Amino acid sequence: MAAPTDRMGLLLVALLPVLFSIADAVDRSNFKTCDQSAFCKRQRDVKPGQSPYRALLETMELSEARLTLQLINDNNKVRLLLELYRLQGNMTRVRINELKPLRPRYEVPDVLIQEPPTESLLLLERDEHGMVLSLGVDDQRLIINARPFRLDIMDGPKVLLSLNSRGLLVFEHLRLRKDTKTEADAEGVENDVEQNEAEKVEEVEEVTEEEEQPGMWEETFKSHSDAKPSGPSSISLDFSFPGVDHVYGIPEHADSLKLRTTDGGEPYRLYNLDVFQYELYNPMALYGAVPVLLSHTAERTMGLFWLNAAETWVDISSSRAVQGGGDAPQTDVRWISESGIIDVFIMLGPRPTDVISQYASLTGTQSFPPLSALAYHQCRWNYNDQEDVQAVDNGFDEYDIPYDFIWLDIEHTDGKRYFTWDPNKFSQPREMLQNLKDKKRKMVTIVDPHIKVDSSYKIHKEIRSKDFYIKNKDGGDYEGWCWPGNAGYPDFTNPEMRAWWATMFAYDQYEGTMDNLYTWNDMNEPSVFNGPEVTMHKDALHGGWEHRDVHNLYGFYVQMATAQGLIQRSGGVERPFVLTRAFFAGSQRYGAVWTGDNAAEWGHLKMSIPMCLSLGLVGISFCGADVGGFFKTPSPELLVRWYQAGAYQPFFRAHAHLDTPRREPWLFGPENTALIREAVRQRYTLLPYWYQLFYNAHRTGQPVMRPLWLEYPGDPATFAIEDEFLLGKDLLVHPVTDEGSHGVTAFLPGEGEVWYDVHTYKKHQGNLNLYIPVTMNSIPVFQRGGSIITRKERVRRSSSCMEDDPYTLYVAVNAQGTAEGELYIDDGHTFNYEKQNQFIHRRLTFTEGSLSSSNLSPDSQFSTASWVEKVIFIGVPKPSAATLRTADGAESPLEFEFDPASELLALRKPGVNAGADWTIHLR
Amino acid sequence: MHFHIAVAVIIWAALFVESRKIRGISISYKRFYKERKSFLCIDGSKLIPFEQVNDDYCDCADGSDEPGTAACPSGRFYCTNLGFRPHYIQSSRVNDGICDCCDGSDEYSSPALCQKTCRNLGQQERAELEERMRMLSEGLLMKRQLVEEGADVWREKQAELTDLQKVAEDLQVRLEYLRRRKSDAGAQKEKALTAAQHPTGQEGLRSQIRAELPLDDHGQSLQDTDRLGDKDEGVEPRTDSAAPREESPNEAEVRGGDPSEDDPDVKAAVEAAESAVSDLNKAEEAHQRLQMEIRELEERLAIDYGPEREFLFLLGRCFQITAYEYSYTLCPFNQVTQKSQMGTEVLLGKWDAWDGPPEDLYGVMKYDRGEPCWQGPTRSTHVQLVCGTDSTLRWVKEPSKCHYAMELQTPAACQPQQPSRRGVHNEL
Repeated sequence: MAAPTDRMGLLLVALLPVLFSIADAVDRSNFKTCDQSAFCKRQRDVKPGQSPYRALLETMELSEARLTLQLINDNNKVRLLLELYRLQGNMTRVRINELKPLRPRYEVPDVLIQEPPTESLLLLERDEHGMVLSLGVDDQRLIINARPFRLDIMDGPKVLLSLNSRGLLVFEHLRLRKDTKTEADAEGVENDVEQNEAEKVEEVEEVTEEEEQPGMWEETFKSHSDAKPSGPSSISLDFSFPGVDHVYGIPEHADSLKLRTTDGGEPYRLYNLDVFQYELYNPMALYGAVPVLLSHTAERTMGLFWLNAAETWVDISSSRAVQGGGDAPQTDVRWISESGIIDVFIMLGPRPTDVISQYASLTGTQSFPPLSALAYHQCRWNYNDQEDVQAVDNGFDEYDIPYDFIWLDIEHTDGKRYFTWDPNKFSQPREMLQNLKDKKRKMVTIVDPHIKVDSSYKIHKEIRSKDFYIKNKDGGDYEGWCWPGNAGYPDFTNPEMRAWWATMFAYDQYEGTMDNLYTWNDMNEPSVFNGPEVTMHKDALHGGWEHRDVHNLYGFYVQMATAQGLIQRSGGVERPFVLTRAFFAGSQRYGAVWTGDNAAEWGHLKMSIPMCLSLGLVGISFCGADVGGFFKTPSPELLVRWYQAGAYQPFFRAHAHLDTPRREPWLFGPENTALIREAVRQRYTLLPYWYQLFYNAHRTGQPVMRPLWLEYPGDPATFAIEDEFLLGKDLLVHPVTDEGSHGVTAFLPGEGEVWYDVHTYKKHQGNLNLYIPVTMNSIPVFQRGGSIITRKERVRRSSSCMEDDPYTLYVAVNAQGTAEGELYIDDGHTFNYEKQNQFIHRRLTFTEGSLSSSNLSPDSQFSTASWVEKVIFIGVPKPSAATLRTADGAESPLEFEFDPASELLALRKPGVNAGADWTIHLR
Repeated sequence: MHFHIAVAVIIWAALFVESRKIRGISISYKRFYKERKSFLCIDGSKLIPFEQVNDDYCDCADGSDEPGTAACPSGRFYCTNLGFRPHYIQSSRVNDGICDCCDGSDEYSSPALCQKTCRNLGQQERAELEERMRMLSEGLLMKRQLVEEGADVWREKQAELTDLQKVAEDLQVRLEYLRRRKSDAGAQKEKALTAAQHPTGQEGLRSQIRAELPLDDHGQSLQDTDRLGDKDEGVEPRTDSAAPREESPNEAEVRGGDPSEDDPDVKAAVEAAESAVSDLNKAEEAHQRLQMEIRELEERLAIDYGPEREFLFLLGRCFQITAYEYSYTLCPFNQVTQKSQMGTEVLLGKWDAWDGPPEDLYGVMKYDRGEPCWQGPTRSTHVQLVCGTDSTLRWVKEPSKCHYAMELQTPAACQPQQPSRRGVHNEL
């Protein structure tokens, strides 16, 4: 939440200047434009042209897998060191740093899951103009052009991607401030003379002075000044994609799935910020940042991962170039970051799923959540007290709506001191948690990273005594205003700090907690109410690094440490569940994210789709938007539609602002209650499918919620679709997101594909636009012919109550009369699936009239009480008989019913265990 | 052969008459589950073999074939709950590991160890019921008294209104008289001033003026006494002619150099005019106050105090309750306020109307138009009324920001009991 409340008297007074600017929409003046961000302006003022950089080919060194080469800027004579790696899995890594930086420049740690394994680089050709290296796969080559410096990645005669082809490589070298230069130089010389004598001789040219530009050594924004003691340090590089018209990614923005050109407007900004009432279709920065961009054409998909945690801006322009006689599109992308080094991973695909696997091999995959976390979450700022929690919990039973988690926002604490409970309102937290546990339900409490400065608060005292707070530029503890008033910010970039933080989640440290309590990290951009752009001063210090260098990593580390805490408290047995608002590349490894403080408006409901699709493309599958909208009050129609859409999005949580009236599902009359109940029930019946998709996402990194083009990469009609999506590859969802809608037009992709309406079983051909009339209870969802989807149709109070329930298989056949699917089962909450191979993973195949279940993972062991209750075939002719054959060879006839109108065949009670081998023959 | 037939008949009879115990049904539904070869779904939609009743697979669309399992989405399970009330639960709660029936019958095949609590619950319920009945009869007696008291208060208020209206009428008459007097005295003053400015041969006019100086009802000149108001004004120096007074610049200008300054006739005429104005003002003020009082009283009498005016006694009373750091005050038919420990008071709503559902309109009071919230709505409060033997606030909550809820217990809310809905309690 971003909105301060009127209960915060003191804080309010302190913040009046800030708050008065709050109106109905985002106050843009609180946030920088590129022009107001000195480095962005300096960089953007550099226009495409001849690059001043030249590769010094004679400095080339090639080891097994690494090539290094010096670059020189002919204007200022500063030398850079270029490193090239060929990585396993068809990737190329390009690193550029200063050859001899005055001080080390920040290199992002902890985001890559390992030092990426390399493959050998082969030098094919070399002359005075450059060199050609083989990238192994097929005919892929890397060409280094020396003057001007430029890199081209080729596939045969075709340029896939060029670096610095527009000459926008700009590397602001670290320098001494002019007024201090003489003194420092003298010292520097003394120190360096002996050590560097040999090298110095080699340096033929002297570094020439550059003109000072505004904002290099100090910058002010509104009333905030940034001391910039290190001076300018920004970097920039351009990438050109010939033939490319569609680029995606670089979340988080409230913008369309397909990235737009930024010519003449603002670049997309990546700088984690707590934006109050964000605007739609806007490239402004939001809460999280993943500097990954995907390019896509019908022939090839590629990706760029710009590993830099500083404030970053991305310009996108598209042009049409004459190529090979035809008129071909081209997309140019330019990245600008405030500090650090250039470290970019080029993922060469060629298929979309390859790019996703390549990126997953670098930063890891989606953590596998506890099954219950995929169910429905009920949240509100705030459930007032234990009695309120109990009343809401009872309400769900009374109205027969399932839910798994109830959430407590900041008001549950003792004066916004996280890890504590309000002594009056939540005096018996264990009793409350036990009551929930008795119904197999769970709770989440909020734990934000800002810590109230209060000498009687244990957490604050310990952090201070261990000296774990971030420092201000003068070396004192950095303090800013947030919910508790004056607050300190623990330095989560410090591994010791994170280790200590993790111990705070132990049951004896976080008093009153039990194993059914999980955690929500909010405000971890970090949000600082009285800081520049509502965040931390960039000259604050994390040990030796400035906040400037690490800003976009802060939220990533907060969630990492919190997830670690939840794992540790169970002795490493239980899977954690942690929701975060701020995130970075790699955050998928630690839990779920949500799209922050949205609003109860139809536009925000629509926007939830492209926002989560964009996150899925860059590895973060566990994404959702506040159902109902956080700010403002939804009409019952909007609320119902949002439940219907949210039921088919990965993270399904209703949430509401403190100032809004109550909106528990039963408060809008019996009709709306029934509609919401039905939407939530649909979610619960599909939980086996969701769980399997998340298992898959965990194993492979492939997103759970997918844009159509991911599965139909050759069909340009799918490239810009953002009002419908796929879950896995087998369910297509087109939520109703318009007020008073009477129908939606869904594109059903795939030439030769068939799609079945999951509610009516009506069959539709692929590759067409289908008009679907809708009423208030319509949620247009289609199952792909050729797929088998598993459901549990006995919807109970919570997902845990359904653990042993039987499965129903939905076998939807394709034009060839076949179908296949998977079934994944484990205990739903521990790491035993991973550590002890305790899981069931089955392949379900239907071909030539036989449906069989076979083991996909013979090494694993797990027993389940669940069995197969029913099998529904969609799109099959009526059989004369159906027989079940079990593993022991026994055969028994199965009763069935057949509906010729919809070609629907229902087999009655095969009764086999869900983990067993079996075959059903239709004759 | 005969023997065989006999055996068959006996077996058939045994099957038919001694029907197997079917889990999850009430006695009244037993007739649908008489064991035969087949079972007809209760909605008549389908005929299935009897073995398929409660076989953990849903065959009937109405769920009637699985009364004792969780197989049917629309099914229901009957808890016999011996010792307590029998009732139905959703079939989804059968064997879900959570004890819903107090006899534990819903968890017949689950790891949940259910305590059999029916006997205790039954006792508890009976005790509560007795207590409720006791409270109700006591409350109803008290209510009857309140209704009578209310009737008295109502009559008093009505009488008060009549009295006030009478006084207002009198005052109206008096006002008309004073208005007339003011205009007469004003005219006299003008005449006297004109006469004084023309000193020759004007004696006639003067005596005429003197003669026309207004007298009050008792024949005294009004300038001597003051009959309306101001009786307790002793503290303040009188500002009439007896005391030295500061002259307004305007008056000074008029008087300065005026040949008629010391003319006793002029002086008397001026004083008479001033006094007439002041008397009229006072009377008008008094009239306004009176009208306001009447209006207020009429408004109060216009409020709906319940079918028997049983809630009238709450008028003028206030109730307090403390929750966490705030204390709340409800003054029925007037307002609700909240006071923090620091002493700041916030209006949570002014009386608006009865707001209960149509069948229980007097169950909820609504107070709205309270102080506006920052970035939010104006505060409002809903007060639920429940039967009790005294009048007191039982709880207060803020379910969503600036929307408050409280419960007032009072004998006035006691209702003679409806014919009770005993028997099977259906929770579906």
